[in-house]
Amino acid sequence: MAKQYDVLFRLLLLGDSGVGKTCLLCRFTDNEFHPSHISTIGVDFKMKTLEIDGIKVRIQIWDTAGQERYQTITKQYYRRAQGIFLVYDITSERSFQHIMKWASDVDEYAPEKIRKILVGNKSDEVDKRQVATEQGIKLANAYGMDFFETSAFTNHNITETFTRLAEQVLAANKKDLDLLRMSGNEEINLAALEEEEGLYERVASDESKGCWC
Amino acid sequence: MAITADDVSLEDIIPISLDFAVVEVSSPEELAVVGADTRVRVSHQEEELELRLPFGSHSRLFLSEVNRAWSDVCKSTTQAPRFEWISKYHKNTRGQGVVKQAPSPLDSTLTQLNEHKKTEKPSDQKGSLERDKGSSNSGTQKTRAYSSQESQGLSSREDRDDLVRSSSHTTSNKAQILAMPQFGLRDNLIKCELMKSEDIYTYLQNFSFFLGTYNVNGQTPKESLFPWLNCTSDPPDMYCVGFQELDLSKEAFFFNDTPKELEWTKAVSEALHPDAKYALVKLVRLVGIMLIFYVKNEHAAFISDVEAETVGTGIMGRMGNKGAVSIRFRFHNSDICVVNSHLAAHIEEYERRNQDYKDICSRLQFRQLDPNQPPLTIMKHDVILWIGDLNYRITELEVSNVKELISNKDFETLHNYDQLKRQIDEEAVFVGFVEGDIDFQPTYKYDTGSDLWDTSEKCRVPAWCDRILYRGKNIVQKHYQSHMALKTSDHKPVSSLLQIGIKRVNPDDYKRTFEEIVRNIDKMENECIPSVTLSKREFHFTDLKYMQHQAETLSLFNDGQVPCQFEFIQKPNESTYCKAWLTANPSKGFIANGGTVDIDFEAFVNRSTAPELNSGQEQIEDILVLHLERGKDYFISISGNYLPSCYGSSIHSLCQLKEPIQDMPQETLREMAEKSGDENAENTEKPLDIPKELWMMVDHLFRSALKQEDIFQQPGLRSEFAVIRDCLDTGIPDSLPGSNHSVAEALLLFLDALPQPVVPFSFYQQCLESCSNASQCEKIISMLPQCHKNVFNYLAAFLRELLKNSASNRLDVNILATIFASLLLKSPTKQDFAEKRKTQEFFQHFLA
Repeated sequence: MAKQYDVLFRLLLLGDSGVGKTCLLCRFTDNEFHPSHISTIGVDFKMKTLEIDGIKVRIQIWDTAGQERYQTITKQYYRRAQGIFLVYDITSERSFQHIMKWASDVDEYAPEKIRKILVGNKSDEVDKRQVATEQGIKLANAYGMDFFETSAFTNHNITETFTRLAEQVLAANKKDLDLLRMSGNEEINLAALEEEEGLYERVASDESKGCWC
Repeated sequence: MAITADDVSLEDIIPISLDFAVVEVSSPEELAVVGADTRVRVSHQEEELELRLPFGSHSRLFLSEVNRAWSDVCKSTTQAPRFEWISKYHKNTRGQGVVKQAPSPLDSTLTQLNEHKKTEKPSDQKGSLERDKGSSNSGTQKTRAYSSQESQGLSSREDRDDLVRSSSHTTSNKAQILAMPQFGLRDNLIKCELMKSEDIYTYLQNFSFFLGTYNVNGQTPKESLFPWLNCTSDPPDMYCVGFQELDLSKEAFFFNDTPKELEWTKAVSEALHPDAKYALVKLVRLVGIMLIFYVKNEHAAFISDVEAETVGTGIMGRMGNKGAVSIRFRFHNSDICVVNSHLAAHIEEYERRNQDYKDICSRLQFRQLDPNQPPLTIMKHDVILWIGDLNYRITELEVSNVKELISNKDFETLHNYDQLKRQIDEEAVFVGFVEGDIDFQPTYKYDTGSDLWDTSEKCRVPAWCDRILYRGKNIVQKHYQSHMALKTSDHKPVSSLLQIGIKRVNPDDYKRTFEEIVRNIDKMENECIPSVTLSKREFHFTDLKYMQHQAETLSLFNDGQVPCQFEFIQKPNESTYCKAWLTANPSKGFIANGGTVDIDFEAFVNRSTAPELNSGQEQIEDILVLHLERGKDYFISISGNYLPSCYGSSIHSLCQLKEPIQDMPQETLREMAEKSGDENAENTEKPLDIPKELWMMVDHLFRSALKQEDIFQQPGLRSEFAVIRDCLDTGIPDSLPGSNHSVAEALLLFLDALPQPVVPFSFYQQCLESCSNASQCEKIISMLPQCHKNVFNYLAAFLRELLKNSASNRLDVNILATIFASLLLKSPTKQDFAEKRKTQEFFQHFLA
């Protein structure tokens, strides 16, 4: 039997504290939902295998602390990502306003060809809605991003959102992938490639041990 | 059969450059026959070659390496490879590039006529090396001879001049294999899981396998094999046809080269069931032992992983006059191995035959697609079909008795004297194999061309030499018979039709199972990400004071499923993992799963960290990043407040403060610190001449310690220092608490903590240069900023007072110069001993 996956890359969840980044991740990877909010203080990650166009894609999804005081640190993780979810809470106008700030941070700190996707979470909380779907669409258009309203609670659009971003990252890196595949590499580790100029030396050395494999 | 390392000669090696290309050109029919050779077209400039590579992992590896090499060339196009090393071989070469037509293939459905090049090899190589494997199935005989030699290890490679070349091939192959990334662990896990849940996504479907074995005694085919191969009403799905003693000539034995291969293959293909079309998947031969495997065309697409191997057990236990050939393949989801063996002859040699069987089982190994996998042995297959001239005889009966039982068709009784039956019953051989009931007369030995028992002098006892056994689940034998009609040989052919339940994959179930497995492995992997729980995420240090140690404890509990390694890591643009006034102890370590480690956060403000905290430019605030190797990062917040102190404040700032420092608003302190460098800044109020804290300490000592024995030489108490510090920072008492020695030490610590020493750094070099000149020294001091000059003169005056009492306090100029010069005159960099001497010399001028 041939190899089970071909590509590994890293996606990052960004957005204000409490918009549901961790819940999105839990729903996507473990199909679980925990309603109580425990702030992520740090950077957490989980692995997931997807199949896109017959290519087995392993994604490492990083869940970051949303609280403002940690942002100087979390920004430093941006450049190690290939794709970013900008998440707001449709019941929080404020979290939506902050997307602009998150997006500009991404422009400043993330690699140039990073792919972004806008996510309005908690779509099930219709009664408390403060941000109209049209507003989300408009903002996404302005930034040239795709847009999804999701609900980690009802599992609405979760897989679609993650798969879409993975597809986009795959497409954005298609040229490199083809080149690498030509050279007969068994697996293409985009994450590790980016790591060479990485922020934290120790992560680079960890990766080279092939720990995600 | 295709290209081997020996078939390529150096002069034909094509440099891999930009105008080089390798394209797979197998025709659709060939692609349908999985296991067929891979045809590739190599083109370079005007030149074009067509090669056949044998099916399997070796060829895949080769092609991927070629592609890799090609893409490397594409990346660095600056220099074309010049192949200089090749030139030293050039003297051996002759002509090249002769175009030749391949011999006409036997079966048009099997092979395609293809054009190719043939190269005359260098004169020093024996035989004809043909790159042409055009008719791989019908076989170019010479080619076959060489490749088979390879597999037998018979060739005297050492004699050849191309030893260098072949050995270099070997090393480079190894290097390539070692360079292959080792990402197999996860794949293997998935493979294992898939195997375990095979029942979920497979179902059984019956297929008919025709097995035939025929010892032809070196004869050429003289009659149609129709009666043997075509004895079933419906066309079987597979044909596995085995021959022994195909060619008894010396040439066949020594060179593994025989025209009979083609003749018998042709005879077989002509006698296959006419109601179906068959594709030849594989043919394998070792001297006279040959196995041909045909499959109905429509099943060809479901055959994969075809490999063939041979093992010689003849002369010296290695030669090919006896032994086995074998083909393994995967059909749908079942792994099947067909073995055709010719075991040792002679009645008494049954133990030798048992040994041959064991040797074949252990020595016959198939390479796997994944080079990291161990080779497959016969017994690792779901279905094993074993045919051949096993050569077991009938013992303990006279020829006449045997013949009588045969004529009575009492095969059951006769079978009890069969060596193979007895050996199987004793579990000495073919353990786990099944043989159907024998309802046909012995197949050996007849007078050639007749049905008469051997009439020669030896008058051999008839025996069931030719047998068909099988091992595996879901196998039903439909028939097991001999074919008396064929008279070409002294043996009769035997056939069996087996109905075998083959595991077929239900694609939907497979997809579901596969996804489930991947999901579970993802889950497992996520659960194995190192993880800890932290007793606290936020730590607060309240009222931290100068040189006061405070500690808080963080407990890390490893709640993950794996041991983990933790470490506090630096944030970007910072050289340490935390601020200088903080340490984490330990800052890295290891926690077994379920284990706990306590980490102490220790805050301690010393003279290097105090100035900025006093002035409010720095706060007790930090975020630490606790990293788990291969795992998460945790952020830990540190907060707190620092009580400003005269310790670590500048002389200038302190001269502005008429109130205790801790009574001052933070804002005022910051403003003062910002202005401190600026001497010209006009203050609304006249500043103090010297810091009041300094005055309080010196005045205290002047009043009560002039005669104190060993003053400035005995240490004070730390606890008393804390009280003195608090006293200075919070009030203006009339006298200071603590012993004289403690006050003296508090004074020294005060001078030591000054961010800018009494003689500022900028004057330091000047002081060194004029240290021997008293008036120069005085001149320098006169140039100091006003408050620094005041402090200097005040201290010098106090020390001179002390020296007046040297009889009691036992001080002298040297002692005081040594102590105070190092505090008053500090080097902005590192001070060496000579400089130290100069600072003391400088200061001595003011003590006289």
